[in-house]
Amino acid sequence: MSVTALLEPQALDPQLELAELTEAARGDGAIVTFVGLARPESSSGEAVDALVLEHHPTLTRQSIEDIAVGCAERFDVSHVRVVHRCGTVPAGEPILFAGAASIHRRAAFDAVDYLMDRLKTEAVFWKREVGDDGTKWIEPTEADLVDRKRWG
Amino acid sequence: MRIRLYGRLADAIAPEVHLAAAGCSVGEVRELLAAEHAAVARSLEASRAVIADSFVGEERIVGESEKLEFLPPVSGG
Repeated sequence: MSVTALLEPQALDPQLELAELTEAARGDGAIVTFVGLARPESSSGEAVDALVLEHHPTLTRQSIEDIAVGCAERFDVSHVRVVHRCGTVPAGEPILFAGAASIHRRAAFDAVDYLMDRLKTEAVFWKREVGDDGTKWIEPTEADLVDRKRWG
Repeated sequence: MRIRLYGRLADAIAPEVHLAAAGCSVGEVRELLAAEHAAVARSLEASRAVIADSFVGEERIVGESEKLEFLPPVSGG
């Protein structure tokens, strides 16, 4: 069993993260991953140049680790890996890699679903979209909050 | 005392402010800041207070040499 939770200030390479997880998962039967990308358009249709993720020097990484550990304890998975960008992420680039490995696929699917629902609402970030129209702070959507409640 | 702010609070006020509030509780500091910055009073009200990486309650007295942080509601990842 391993749990990895990293805060990445530089560019995130999902292929490298998958390679790390695959290496750790020898003997497992399934890996499920999710890669989040910075959208080039806001929810109201304005062009977005970049997403800025402000973070707390210690509590942000701690929040990611707490979520990853919670995932490992809840599901029958052997490895959990979460790597989250902080700082300025240009539109189209990866913000997040979340992956889980397990003997059977269902636990890995559920684990990543859980990771994402908690990360979207609880990870300690303050996000703002930057575009031609200036900067706009982002809050979790109602759908994000409803999704989070699925897990109690 | 030093007060560190994040997110929209840092945007509206400043990332860090110094306040002459020796002997004040977290709640009293929060009220002082909200009175000075009415535009973000609701965000301040909804913010969690942190000292030395631990969440603290409203009654906690803030030492002059301590750093008090206000974390507004998070955006999530």
